[in-house]
Amino acid sequence: MVFDAIAELLAEHNDCDASEITRDTTFAEMGVDSLDTVELVMKLEDKLDCEIELTAKVSTVGELVDFVEPLVQK
Amino acid sequence: MVKTPLCDLLGIEYPIFQGGMAWVADGALAAAVSEGGGLGIIGAGNAPGSFVREQISVVRALTKKPFGVNIMLLSPFADEVAAVCTEEKVAVVTTGAGNPSRFMEQWLGAGIKVIPVVPSVAMTKLVTRAGASAVIAEGGESGGHIGELSTMVLVPQVCDATDLPVLAAGGIADGRGVAASFMLGAAGVQVGTRFLSAHECSIHPTYKEKILKANDIATMTTGKRLGHPVRSLKTSFARAYFKAEYDSSVSDEALEAMGTGALRLAVVEGDLQNGCFLAGEIAGMVRREQPAAEIIREMFTEAEDVLKGAGRWVR
Repeated sequence: MVFDAIAELLAEHNDCDASEITRDTTFAEMGVDSLDTVELVMKLEDKLDCEIELTAKVSTVGELVDFVEPLVQK
Repeated sequence: MVKTPLCDLLGIEYPIFQGGMAWVADGALAAAVSEGGGLGIIGAGNAPGSFVREQISVVRALTKKPFGVNIMLLSPFADEVAAVCTEEKVAVVTTGAGNPSRFMEQWLGAGIKVIPVVPSVAMTKLVTRAGASAVIAEGGESGGHIGELSTMVLVPQVCDATDLPVLAAGGIADGRGVAASFMLGAAGVQVGTRFLSAHECSIHPTYKEKILKANDIATMTTGKRLGHPVRSLKTSFARAYFKAEYDSSVSDEALEAMGTGALRLAVVEGDLQNGCFLAGEIAGMVRREQPAAEIIREMFTEAEDVLKGAGRWVR
């Protein structure tokens, strides 16, 4: 569920298909800079109805999924 | 008289902050601005906590009025400086170059008002939720490290995204700029470049002279290749750096090394060959050296006239 939400937001950000995004996709290759990250996290919060305090450095979609997943289950 | 909620929030006479310019905004300048009725700010830049503590005592020896400290979040000493601000219980902390969330709890616990510089709507929402007291919407017209959006575009969108008072920054040096900021929804302004010309600003005389002589097209942006664009005066250093950026034989590391220490060389040595003279686009409108208090009075007297005349085209 978390992966799908992130993939969907990234696909929208990059005008690409969500199916092109995998756990190994890096934010750098998607052209996501630090400001985009804040934007992405805020949108993710709305989508998943949770609060995300991004304290870890994440560089791939998989890492973000692993960080966010426990917050959603709370 | 121009009064906004920002004046009541901080106990200041005029709703104006002096930008926390690294190497430039020391205790003497901050004290002069606070004494003049604005909010003076010490720029911590990349300096260690001991420097900031020293500057705080300089301000306190010169004024009883509130002042702030600007923390550059990318600084290797950010944690140390954050702790000094907490211990010294400064009235205001402004933050730049990042997300201040990790320090919010300690600052709010010490009764400090946190006012982050925000470059986007999402960041505005994030810091509003984290407990900020106001935000500074700084457009890319400003000097030093800059964001992509211009002040005209950023300020109204930030105002729409938060209920907190918003300070407009970037491209403001006279009363017209102040009045325009209010029209965009801001409750105050932050000004950097004009204070470079203040009597109490102790930058090298060459730096001051370059600012006073600058015209409308005197600044340029470098550093985009490394992802940290910077606005400065077009000096031989800036031109050489710009050239190196587009030269693929120059490595990122070499480029990084070229910029290291360049601000100090400008501020302290006035070195035109190797120094980076940070300045906002508005430098062309800064024409004479004056006391900080006079700069503030002049800007707000003019703003008042402009605001009073603002209805003249409405029929």
